[in-house]
Order: sequence, then structure tokens, then C-alpha cells
Amino acid sequence: MPDPSFVFAQSISGLTAAMFLFLIASGLSLIFGVLRVLNFAHGTFYMLGAYSAYQIVRWLGTGPVSFWIAALGAALAVALLGGIVERFLFQRLYGKEELYQLLFTYALVLILGDVAKIIWGTQQKSISRPPGLTSAVHVLGATIPYYNLFIILLGPAIALGFWFALQRTRAGRFIRAAALDRETLGALGVNVSALYTGVFVLASFLGGLGGALITPMRAIVPGMDTEVIVEAFVVVVIGGLGSFWGTFLGALIYGQVLSFGILFFPRFSIFSIFALMAMVLIIRPWGLLGRPLK
Amino acid sequence: MIRVLTMLLAALLTLPLAAEAQKPIKVGMPIPLSGPPALFGEPASKGAQMYVDEINAKGGVLGRKIELVIRDSKADANEAVRVARELILKENVDFLVGTLTSAEGPAVSVVAKENKIVFIAPIPKTDQLTAADKLHPYVFRVAANTTMEGRSAAEIVAKWPVTKIATIAFDYAYGQDVTKSFVDYIKKLKPSVEIVDQQWPKLGEQDYNPFINAQMAKKPEAVVSSIWGGFFVTFSKQAKALGYFDAIKYNFIGLGEAGTPETTKSMGADYPVGIWGNSYDAFYWDESSPAHREYTARISKYLKDEYPSSWAIQGYIGMQFLVEAIKKANSADSEKVSKALLGLSVDTPVGKLTIREKDHQANRGQLYGKTVKEAKYPFAIMKPVTYVDPTKFMD
Amino acid sequence: MRRVPWALIVFLAALFVPAAGSRYYTFLANDVIIWALFATSLNLLVGYTGLVSFGHAAYFGIGAYTTGILMKKVGVSFLLAFPTAGIVAALFALVFGFFCVRLTRIYFAMLTLAFAQIVWAICFKWNEVTGGEQGMPEIPYPDFAWVDRVAAFLPFLGGYRTAEHFYFVTLLLVAACLVLLRRIVGSPFGRMLATIRENPERAEFIGVNVRRYELAAFVLAGGFAGLAGGLFGIFNRGVFPDFAYWTKSSEVLIMTLLGGMGAFFGPALGAAVLIWLNQQIVSYTEYWPLVLGTILVVLLFVFPGGIAGAAMALRHRLRRRAARA
Repeated sequence: MPDPSFVFAQSISGLTAAMFLFLIASGLSLIFGVLRVLNFAHGTFYMLGAYSAYQIVRWLGTGPVSFWIAALGAALAVALLGGIVERFLFQRLYGKEELYQLLFTYALVLILGDVAKIIWGTQQKSISRPPGLTSAVHVLGATIPYYNLFIILLGPAIALGFWFALQRTRAGRFIRAAALDRETLGALGVNVSALYTGVFVLASFLGGLGGALITPMRAIVPGMDTEVIVEAFVVVVIGGLGSFWGTFLGALIYGQVLSFGILFFPRFSIFSIFALMAMVLIIRPWGLLGRPLK
Repeated sequence: MIRVLTMLLAALLTLPLAAEAQKPIKVGMPIPLSGPPALFGEPASKGAQMYVDEINAKGGVLGRKIELVIRDSKADANEAVRVARELILKENVDFLVGTLTSAEGPAVSVVAKENKIVFIAPIPKTDQLTAADKLHPYVFRVAANTTMEGRSAAEIVAKWPVTKIATIAFDYAYGQDVTKSFVDYIKKLKPSVEIVDQQWPKLGEQDYNPFINAQMAKKPEAVVSSIWGGFFVTFSKQAKALGYFDAIKYNFIGLGEAGTPETTKSMGADYPVGIWGNSYDAFYWDESSPAHREYTARISKYLKDEYPSSWAIQGYIGMQFLVEAIKKANSADSEKVSKALLGLSVDTPVGKLTIREKDHQANRGQLYGKTVKEAKYPFAIMKPVTYVDPTKFMD
Repeated sequence: MRRVPWALIVFLAALFVPAAGSRYYTFLANDVIIWALFATSLNLLVGYTGLVSFGHAAYFGIGAYTTGILMKKVGVSFLLAFPTAGIVAALFALVFGFFCVRLTRIYFAMLTLAFAQIVWAICFKWNEVTGGEQGMPEIPYPDFAWVDRVAAFLPFLGGYRTAEHFYFVTLLLVAACLVLLRRIVGSPFGRMLATIRENPERAEFIGVNVRRYELAAFVLAGGFAGLAGGLFGIFNRGVFPDFAYWTKSSEVLIMTLLGGMGAFFGPALGAAVLIWLNQQIVSYTEYWPLVLGTILVVLLFVFPGGIAGAAMALRHRLRRRAARA
């Protein structure tokens, strides 16, 4: 019978990893839901968010708020980049075949990945946790770092904020409408292309924020983009492509499977993640909370 | 008339030889220059380059300059093989000195064997590189191997007042071999020892939290880890946050060179001061010889760093052995150089090292010590730091 | 304009590479030839049937590991191991494909990716069988002892190194595979695939069992990719898990696009151009991905038909101009 404090600690680890993934995957899901494109470059925006946060912290020094400014600044910078990319490049590909759009996002991965290497080099970088969140709390015999708690609370907060925005605000309604039927929306006089840009900007903001917030916990290295994008794919597939709460659920499941997977299949926890993804696609392709694509 | 002809003939004969003499000896160096392993790989390449610059300044070897061709192997066995083959086929290198991980080393060793090119490995530790079934005339190692490292660690840990030990290592040749040699040896030294837990994250893991939690649940009294390079930085940051080091009262030894100045410097205040670690070199090594102090001054100037990296020395020593062997063989032909390397002794900055004939392995020990915070330096150092001679561990 | 037998010319020229060029050019040519087969096999799915697979590297990896395990661990000869690689890969393609073809578009792509990552994860972690992270270095070359004996009668066969012997083997085998593939796409089966690509619903209406055709294409593509993998494992002197990683799938997809999905030899051309370009660029700068990404963007916006597509469009325009004159 496993020790309860261990089970608790492990599930907290799983939750923390899940919330990071949720931040990143929610952007991916949003882009897919509205633009019907699977954005490979989303992992790259995550990485750029991390590098930007590192850079801003380098400039500001280690003051009490420099980390928070850096995180916000990085997310905004990445959002801006996303907007530029969408407006000037992506928009020209909308009429074309899906394959071209997909490959374009992959070209972005290649280009932006090297741009990051040129600017920041290839050595790994790291940031310390922000002052104020450096220690931990002891709950049920396990040590839970405050920063992890912050992330665990932030995830659902953003989810709820999002959900509220989607349900109650005008822009939110347009986004949901665009996901269902974009032609009609255009016919009704809504500026669909501006909407698309807005969605892309928002999604990039989330991805960049995820990258910035993960820096105190993980290393900032080249290759973090290709690693995270596969994880994000798994999450949105399990939860449901285009479904917001599906992404949340998918992230939760992913986090716990990885956490406890090392107990039951110590060497095959990676395998179990992809097996889960395959099973969902075989049994219920549109994911646990998704809807069938037209 | 005859004199003129003779002089002409002499000139003609020396011309191609002179041209030969000017052609540089090319040495290919596939080594990771990107990602977390670059923390070790990049300084190693610089150490090799410094030695090459020094030798070339003195006129080269056998009248020829040495040209070091460095390529990023990305710490990936497949890439290392590809890079090594290109170095041989396209750049026509005469020798290979390089690779870092224990996946790259054996893979490139195969390439060296098939192309009959001398390959000196300055960093990969897995025993498999020089094991009886994999050994061939062209592979040599000037790094410690996993048997030496595991047993050195066992000797140290056996003196700790602990019996419940856990291990954490990457699930590949290096992690598996060093853990095994540690476990086998410590059970011999101290039969009361019990291995309560073993964790095997994949090489390149970024999220160690599940492994750390699982290990803490088994309540070990000490941990032997071989997480290395930039990965150790990530791992220990996460571990410290979870109270891992406190739980084992810092009875932790970080093999895979967790005690290097690079690591402690890059982590700053995040470093878990109080753990044990090892390192191939330390600029602050008090009992060092004049040769070592002199080397340290030179590398410090070369790297423009008052606290120079401890990895440069492996690149340096690798090239030292190669050049000494070329001198001894009086040739840059791999056949002759490979024979010259057998039993060759070289005075390196860490003392006299010899490549033994049995398995082409040098008796390269490492520095071990417990880390402390010293006011003199802005980062932790190992103090006291001892060079553990591995000769008694090499069977 | 006469029909120039380009393929035959290229094949004959390829026969003379070891004699004419350096060891390095033989190495490059060998690489190109194997990737040409890999890319052409993918095109059977993408260009001819319209199915975008993100997991084609899985079958490449399966073929490589099959050959590697059989030849290195079991000691089977190349003559047996090579076709087995293709068959094993095709079997996996049958199982995976069965599930994949039931889905469309993005879900199809995601499932191919998922299966490929499963294959990668197994190769990466199953240390006992696949060597795990280290992979399996030192895959033996096929036994070429017989060449020296035959060279006594046919002297032009003699005087080559093992790597060059293997180059000839690769060239002949890949040429045979490409001839076979050409036959397949030219056959009624192939034409049916094109019909399905144009409009799957219409194909259903006229009574075609679309899924069965797609599965057949999937299995064939997987099988030939497996053969390419088997050759590559030996050529590379080692089999490693990243043969099956998704970035390898994207590499071969880019080659296919670069060369042109609309032409049979487009992917082969793409393979040659990409590999040649890669090794040229890498000697000047380490930022090859930046160059590749830029090329890809240019392709997508300006030349979606790839090199072959652009060449055919140019020829078409020249013909029209000639006709009008």
C-alpha cells in the first residue's frame, strides 16, 4: 500500500506539470478550433517565451518584481510575434491545402529555433524562482514548493477566466461562432480576418506565458520546442481538438499518467502516453470532450 | 655541370617532401556543442584547441602543424556517427579525438575501427567502450571508466554512517554501468548496505519531479547519482525545491562531475551546498603540482576566466596523448600511432598517466570532495578535494 | 520534344560514381539513393492517395531495427534480412494503417504521429532488444566474399572497397524498388488512388471501397519505407532510435514537397537536392535549419509544386510559346 504522503506528493507533481501543459496546449487548441490549423510552431513560441523571460530578467536584475515583469513582458513579446506572423504570412495560406499550412508552421519551427540559437547561443540557461515563492509548505508529510502551488492555482484561474470570456464577452461569442461556422460569421459582417489574428495573438500569449513561467523549474535549452509540441499534441488529442475544457482534462490526465507511470511501468511511461493518445484516436477520435469535425 | 644537376635533383626531391611537411595533421573532434551537454563539451573542445595552439606555436609535430576540426555532435549517437564519417571521408582527418556521452563513444568507435583511424575518447566513461568484445586496435580512452568511478564512489560512501542507499541514473550505458559497478563494489566493502530504490530517468529528462518523489518515498539515507552536465543543474534545482537533499541530510554524491566549477558557478545560490561530487580538474586544487598550477594559469588566460572550467583538461590530455604518440611513432600513420599509444606514459597537468595495453585505458582518476561555501569564491567548491588514484580499482 | 530517358541516364551515371568520385561522393550518393526510396514511398501516400502521414519514419525505423537485429544478433544473412525488413514494416503498417484509414485529415495525421511515437518509445526504451538509447552500432555489412571470387572472371568488379560494394547493392535494390513502384502507380490500382485523392466522396459513390484502397497504399508505402530503413541501417553503420522520431518524418515530407509531389521522381529529386544542399551549407554555417525553413517557406508560397512542378510548368509554358509561334 503506497504511502499516502507519497501519493499526494506525486499527484502534486502531476498537477504542476499538467497546468504548464494546459497553458501551452490551450493556445494550440484555440488555434485549431478557430483556424483549423495544427500549429507546430506553438512549441517554438513557448521556447521564445522562456528565452525572452530569461533576457528580461538579465536586464532587470533580481528585484522582487523583475520575474513577474519578465513573464508578462515575454508573453506580450511572443504575442506580438504571433500577430505579425499571422497577419503577414499565415493569412496568405488560408485558401490553400492543409498540408501547406502545416508545413508552414513547421518552417517557422526551423527558422525561429535557429533565430533563438543565434540570439542566445546553445548553452542551457536557467533562472531562479522569484523571491517570495522560494520556500515550500509541508502538507500531509510532503514538501510542496510555493511556486508549484502558484502554478496549480494559476492554471484553473486562467481556465475559468477564459471560459468566462468565451461565454460572456462579445469577442468570445465571435470566437465560438467562428469555430462553428466561419462563412456565416463573415456574411454577418464580422471582420473575420481580424478575429483570426486576434485568436492567434491570444494563443501565442498563452504559449509564451507558459514558457516564461516554466523557467524557474526547467532549463532553457534548444530542443525544448520540439519536445513540448508533441506533449501538447497528446494533450489536445486526448481532451478533444478545439475543446477548451477538453484540453484542461487532457492536461490533467497527461500529468497524472506521467507521474504515476514511473511507478507501474518504470521504463515505459513515455510509451503509455502515446498509447493513450492512440487509443483515444481509435475509439473516440474527437477526444474525450470534443465534437466531431465537419 | 654535375654540381648544378645534383643541386637541381636535390631541390626536386625535397620539393614534394616539403609540400608533405607543410600539409597539416588533421584531427577530427566530434563533441556536443549545444544543449545541456555543451556545459562539458564546449570547454573540452577549447582545452584541446589550447594544446593545439601551444604545439603549433612551437612548430607543430614532425614539422607539421596540427589542425583541429571541431564539429557539434549534439550528444546524439546517430549524429556523432554521421559527423565522424564526414570528418573522415570529406575532411580526410588523420585521427579522431572526441565524443562525450557513452552513447556517442561506442558508436564512433565502430567508425574508427572500420576506417582504421586512431580514436582517443577523452570523456565517455562506459566500460563497454573498451570491453573485451568491443576493443579494437584503434580505440583509446583517457577518461575514467565506469568501473573506476563506481568503485571510487563506493569507497567514499562506505565510510558514511548509512546503510540504506538509493541510486538515480540515466537509463543508458553510462548510468547503468556506473550504478552497477557502484552497487557491486559497495556490497563487497559493506555487506550491510541495502539498495532501497533505483530510479532511471531517460537521458535528457527535463522533469525529474516524479522520480524525486518516488525516491523520497523509499526514505533512503544516502543517494548515489550520476546525473550529469546541464541535466544535473535542472535535477538539483527541482530536487532542492522538494526538500530532497534535506531529507537525506545531504548524504549525496553526484558522480558525473557534479562538483565542477562550471556546475556550481552556473547554479549560484541554487546549488545544494554540502553534497559530494567529483571533477576531472579544479583550479582551486591546493595540493596540486607546479605543472598543474602552471596549466591552470595558462587555461585561465586562454579562456579569459579567472575561474576556468574543469573540462578543458580532458580535451587537453586527449590531444597530449595523440601528439606524444605521433612523436614516439615518428609518423602520422594510424597503424604506427596506435601501436605507439600502447603503454604510453605522458606527463599531464594532473600527473603521469599511462595507457595500459590490456584495454587501452589510462589510469585517469578524479578529484572527489564535499562541497562547501567558501567566502573567497562566489560559488561552492569541493573542500578538501582529493585525487583518488584509480589504479587499485582497475582489474 | 523527344522523351529523354532521364531515369536510365541517372541510373547509368550513378553506376560510375565510385569509379569517378571520391569516397565522400560515394557516401553522399548512397545516402541520396536510400532517401529517394524513402521519400518516394511516402509520396505513394501523400502525392498519389492524398493522405498526409506524419509518422512515416516509424516504418523506416522498423525496417532498420529488423535488419539490424536479424543481421547483428541473430546472424541472418542480408539476402534474408532485407526482404524481411520490408515485410515486417508492411505488417506493422497493416495493423497501424487499419486504424488510421478510418480517420480523415487531421485525425489521420495525428494517429500516424501517435503510432510513430509509440514505435520510437519502444525502440528508445527496450534496452535488451533494441539497445535503447545507445542504439545498435556496428551492423555488419552483407557478405561480399563472393565478389572477389567473381571478380576473377569479371575484372571490372574487382578493386572496390566494402562500402562501394554496398553502394552498388543499394543502387540496384533501390532501382528495382522504384521500377516496382512506378508499375504500381501506373496500374489501375494506382489510377484508383488518384481518383480517391481527387474526391474521396465521389469515389465512394461510384462503389469504390475507399478504405481498402487507402489501407493497401498505406501498407505498400510502409513496406517500401521499411526496405529503405533496412538499407539505411547498414549504410549508417548503426541503427538508432531517432530513425523513428517524428522529426525524421518531417524531413522526408519536406523532401517530397521540395522535389514535387506531382511527379513520380519528384521526391527522389527532392532527396538529392536536400542532401546536397545540406552538406554544402553545413560547411559554411551551423544554421542549416534556418536555411531549410526559409527554403520551405519559399516553396510553399511560390513553388508549391516543388522543383519538378516548377520544371513541368516551365516546360508547359515553353511548349505553348513554341506552339503559338
